[in-house]
Parts: sequence; C-alpha cells; structure tokens
Amino acid sequence: MGYLFDPNNWEWLVTSNNFEFLFEGFLVNLQIALIALIFSLIGGLALALGRLSRNKLLAFVAGLWVDVWRNLPVLLVILYVYLAMPASWREAYEDAAPAFLPDVLQTGRVFAALLALVLYNSAVLAEIMRAGIQSLDRGQSEAAVALGLSYWQRMRIVILPQGLRRMLPATVSQLITLNKDTTLVYIIAIEEVARRGRILTGFNFFGGVQAPLLQVFIVIGLMFIVTNLGLSRLSRRLEIREQQRTGTTVEPVSGLEDQVATVQAR
Amino acid sequence: MSSWLELLTDNFGALASGFWVTLRLVGGSFAVAVVVGTLVAALRIAPSKWLQRLGGVYVETFRNIPLLVLLFIAYFGLRRAGLPINTWTAGIASLGLYTAAYVAEVLRSGVFAVSRGQIDAALSLGFDQRDTLRRIVLPQAFRTVISPLGSITIAMIKNSVIVGGAVAINDLLKEARIIASRTFETEAAFFWAAVGYLLVTVAATVAIRRLEQRYAIRR
Repeated sequence: MGYLFDPNNWEWLVTSNNFEFLFEGFLVNLQIALIALIFSLIGGLALALGRLSRNKLLAFVAGLWVDVWRNLPVLLVILYVYLAMPASWREAYEDAAPAFLPDVLQTGRVFAALLALVLYNSAVLAEIMRAGIQSLDRGQSEAAVALGLSYWQRMRIVILPQGLRRMLPATVSQLITLNKDTTLVYIIAIEEVARRGRILTGFNFFGGVQAPLLQVFIVIGLMFIVTNLGLSRLSRRLEIREQQRTGTTVEPVSGLEDQVATVQAR
Repeated sequence: MSSWLELLTDNFGALASGFWVTLRLVGGSFAVAVVVGTLVAALRIAPSKWLQRLGGVYVETFRNIPLLVLLFIAYFGLRRAGLPINTWTAGIASLGLYTAAYVAEVLRSGVFAVSRGQIDAALSLGFDQRDTLRRIVLPQAFRTVISPLGSITIAMIKNSVIVGGAVAINDLLKEARIIASRTFETEAAFFWAAVGYLLVTVAATVAIRRLEQRYAIRR
C-alpha cells in the first residue's frame, strides 16, 4: 500500500507530457472502436438479413459464418488476420487510408486489426439484430404483406425501424466490449494505449528509477472505466426508455456476456 | 489439406499440452469467478446500503476495465511493486475476478427475478429469513440463471486467450503461435487452434443446453 500511494510513484503523471502521451494512445483505441463499430453494424445487418432470408442456402451459410466467428476468441482472430494478411492488402490500405486519420491509423497493420475486429463484432451484432428482428410480433410482417409491400419495403418501412430500435441498448453494451477489446491490438504492435503504457514503463525515464508500471496501468484502467461507465449508463437509460415505450422485457442473447441483452416481446 | 493434417500429427504433443493448459486455466478461473461472484452478489443484496455500494463498485470496476490492462496490473505491476506473484496466480486471479463481476450481476438479477409473492408466502408459512432464502429464493434463482451463466462461461473460455497473450503461460494459442513461427504454416497452425477453441465452446454450449432443459424455468 505504501508503494501504491507513494507520491514519488505518481510524479510521472504530472512531469513532462506523460499523461498526454497515454491519453493520445487512448484516443487511438476509441477511434479504432468507432470505425470497427460502424463497419460491424453494416456487416452485421447484412449477415442478420442473410440468416433470416427465405433462401435456405443463404440462411445456412450466413448462420454458419456467424456462429464460427462469434465463437472464436478475438485475440486469435486478430493474430490470425495479421499474420495471414498478404502484404499487398496492407499496402493497398496505406494508399487508400484517408489523410484526415491520425498517422497511427494509417499504418497497414491497423487494417488487420480493424478487419479482425469487424469479422468478430459483425457476427456478434448480427446475432443481436436477428434477435431484435425476430422479437417483433408476426402480425407486423403479416400486416405489411397484406398492405402489398414488397420484401424490401417491408424491411425498410416496417421491420427494421422497430427491430433495430429494440437492439440499441444491446449495441451500446457491445460497444463497451469492443472498446475493451481494442487493447488487444497491442499484440500486433499498434501504438495504442496499452503499448504506450509499456513504452512509458519500458525504460528508466526517471534517471535510474524503475518506472511505476502499476500506477501507469491503473491510470489506463481508469480511462477505460470512466468511458465505459458513461456508455453503460447510456445503455441502461435506452433500455428503460424502450421498456416504458413498448412494455417489453430484456432477454439475453446466448453466447455473449450477460451485458449483451436484447429486448424481446412479452 | 494433407499438409494441414501432417502439421497436426507432427505437433500433436504441443497442441495437446496447450489445450490442457487452457482447460486448467478456464477451470481455475471458473472456480474463482463463482466463489467471488457469489460473495459480491451477496454484498449487492445485503441489507446495508454501504455493502451494496461496495459490491457495486466491484462490479463496475472489473466489468469496465479491459482484461489485458487487469493482467498487466496483476502481473507486471505487482512484480514491479515487489510482490513476487507467479504467472498462474496472476492469470487465474485476473480472469476469475474479471468474470466474477459478470457472475455477480447475473446472480443478483436471478434473486430479484423470484417474485415477491414467493417470499411472502414462505414467511407466512413460518419460514424464517434464512430458510426463506435457502429453501425458496436461491433454488429458484439458480434455475433462472443457468442460461446467462452459460453465456458468461463461454465468454470466459474465449477470454482465457488474453491471459496467454499477456503473461508467459503456454496455452493453446501460444503453442499455435510457436508452431506457426517455426514452420511458417500460419493458416494450418491457427486452424487447429481455432478447432480446439470451438471444441471447448461447443461442448460448453451443449452442456449448458442439457442443464437448461433439465432445470431451467422459462420466464
């Protein structure tokens, strides 16, 4: 305890720009999470629609794809994509990456990280979306058919607006998990917050004094706790609002951490 | 495909030992998660506001911190602080304490899912507080939480990979990486590791489904 609260071990936080250095790394994590989330939402919607399709083959392939990717450990997916990705893909990404992105996000290895996170999270989100869509009353779809709407009209006007709104709290919860998972890209040497924490503690920057690794990582942990607490507050508020609006209850989606819940009709 | 099979037979010993390490890691962490999770859940439904708050702080802390950061704190951090913690203790403690937060939340929601009428009925039949909890509330609570607990267990199996990624424990993924870097057969090595993890998660899924069919109360 003496070691933990010793002011000498906290000096690094205020000297030079150590905290800024860490915080910039943390922003990289948030950006990776956000970009991965956007593409996962698009991929997840496509997979969910594929799984619910009346075409048996398409439904089977989409279902198998989703079940395989969401049952693999994320770290394994990240490492695999990174090691197996051809160099030409990475170069293509480096050429195509928009210039407004920070330098770290323009490196080719970030493409591997993003692709892996999207592969995993799109599968998870597909399952959440499927549960959201299936929780709708059959009558909604039948009424849309009776009104003469085509498949795409039915999806666009009737089913998706209701189904997707129900999965909003679960999506925010998944964003929390995704946010935590972004630290894993440290393993493929992307300079995000965990890697920067290691850099900060990797050499003796206090003139021979051993770097206070414990304190540095407690600070990094606090960054995540604060951000994710905010997100989980948001998720809970959305959940309550949805319950009041529609009178439905929350049901878990199997295979995910319990936080990932979707709303199902009572 | 034949070279893939060859890679499996050539490195079966290493992969099997990695598989066994993963199972032990998961088993140990599961025990920690259930014990600590139950204690934290007890705190969260305790009659004192302060105890409830303490439980809440535990859950929010361990649920919102990345497991990798937790591992760095528990292993490298404590070692730098002069506490000679070993890799297995740090790994099992981190994964167990992290998962315990989720277990506690599920157990708490399970207790609250038991309807108030059940408790009133038990009390009016002359059960005291302790017997009501032990004979009426907990057995029903347990049966409602089988499915979410199963989800947490599967998530924990997947998270066990992070332990091997951070500290020197040669779990299945670590062994696969070693094979991949030695033979340059990345696809094959990772394929067999993926098969190993899918075996465990699918087995867990089937076991949970069995338990559910036998005991679960659908609400």
